[in-house]
Amino acid sequence: MQLDKMDLGIHDFFTYPPVGEDDYAYMFQTAQVRSMETQMLTRTALLDMANASDFTSAAGSLSGTEYTLPSGAGAAELETMLRQRRSAVRRLFEDLMLDERIVEIFRNRNDYANLRLVLRRVLTDKPVGADYSAEGNAPPELLAQAFEEQNYAILPEHVQAAIDQATLAYYQNKSVRQIDFAIDRAEAAYGLERARTVDGNVFLVNLFRIQVDLTNLRTMLRVKSLGADPRDALLEGGFVEMDRLRQGFDLPYEALGALFFATPYHHIVESGAGYLAANGSFLVVEQQCDDYLLGYLRQTMQIASGPQPVIAFFLAKEHEIRTVRLILTAKKNQLDTKLILDRIA
Amino acid sequence: MEFMGIGFALLGAALAVFLSGFGSAIGLAAAAKAATGVLSEKPERYGTLMLLVVLPSTQGIYGFVVGLFVMIKLNMFAGAPIAITWYQGLQILAACLPIAFAGWISGIQQGRTGAAGILMSAKRPEMAFKAGVVYAAMIELYAILGFLVSLLILLMGIPLQAPGVAA
Repeated sequence: MQLDKMDLGIHDFFTYPPVGEDDYAYMFQTAQVRSMETQMLTRTALLDMANASDFTSAAGSLSGTEYTLPSGAGAAELETMLRQRRSAVRRLFEDLMLDERIVEIFRNRNDYANLRLVLRRVLTDKPVGADYSAEGNAPPELLAQAFEEQNYAILPEHVQAAIDQATLAYYQNKSVRQIDFAIDRAEAAYGLERARTVDGNVFLVNLFRIQVDLTNLRTMLRVKSLGADPRDALLEGGFVEMDRLRQGFDLPYEALGALFFATPYHHIVESGAGYLAANGSFLVVEQQCDDYLLGYLRQTMQIASGPQPVIAFFLAKEHEIRTVRLILTAKKNQLDTKLILDRIA
Repeated sequence: MEFMGIGFALLGAALAVFLSGFGSAIGLAAAAKAATGVLSEKPERYGTLMLLVVLPSTQGIYGFVVGLFVMIKLNMFAGAPIAITWYQGLQILAACLPIAFAGWISGIQQGRTGAAGILMSAKRPEMAFKAGVVYAAMIELYAILGFLVSLLILLMGIPLQAPGVAA
């Protein structure tokens, strides 16, 4: 039964795939995150920030929250505060999560981000540097040492495999974009493989499959918009069939809605492609993708207890931090309020 | 054979106390863990959550009362237990089963329902009593029914002969 739920097709669910079963070992953790969810920024608070006249008043509207900035704070203080909040959320997640394998799966995201950075530098003959995230599974010093000594055997096997794939992809046409595609593919495949090893965690597998789908939808629209080579750009393992996505490369924007009509992503594609065609911007695609993912995370309200609400809180909190950064950075750079509202609407 | 009768009767008492206590303990643990999770962020909700946490403890008390009645019926506190036949022992064992199983299952489920009510009250404190306590209390009904049936069979359904009294 668990296996069936993890191997659903795109037509096996209506809006969101299932979130799995209760696990009463997480009663305390679930209660704690449910309490903390009440302290998250409301939609009204985010809209107030977006509608604020300038950066100072937008930052001022956050006073009394965990994002309070000292008066006269600039971009550097904002970044420091947001990094601190993000680290605190990650520490909290690691403390609350009883299954160490789930923590490791989420720490992997930082390994792949570090890898993306170091490979871009090394393959374009720049210094390796030392400014890598320490929140991954592989320590940044180990990563830097491996690349300086060209001794990749000291890195975990999945990181070595990703290095091989990214290097091969880069040398096919010496495009830095191919490094990102290769790392994305390796990250998605490894995340899904690891998620399947966590006992019956339907939620985690479905979450990663949704993330693969959303990445593929963004990629499809970006590749179409840029007229780039779609080869190897798509990730395997999502709910949407690869044929449908490949068809999307060849169809005009107005036909994409019909192509994805029978999928839960119909609204994302239709409104995103419409906005892209009219404005040449990906704002609505990004916003719709965020909304869909947050909608899936909200489905964890259906269960009384389990790792799902803790993971959902963690991801929602990371999203909140990104939104605060987005709005305040946009305000700092005096971007049009309508653009900000389109992105967070 | 008379030892078998006492054995069955005491097994019934043990099951009533053990299974209903087991259900209560698991239910209490679930509700208490949820409450401590909420209280770690909102300590001012202690009073509201207390009732939801203690609700599953009643099943253990019902089982304990039934166990006590079995011992009283067997005259165990007077120092000279009544000699009963094996089928009288089985009757007492059967009388203990309603509260044993009803207490076991309802204790666990009531704890989980209470915990869900506690989680809900983290976001909607005004619903803590209206939904949380009322829903959990509805499960209590089935523990009470099991308790009543066990008690009525023990008190009125199984006539036993006290020592020295002619049949």
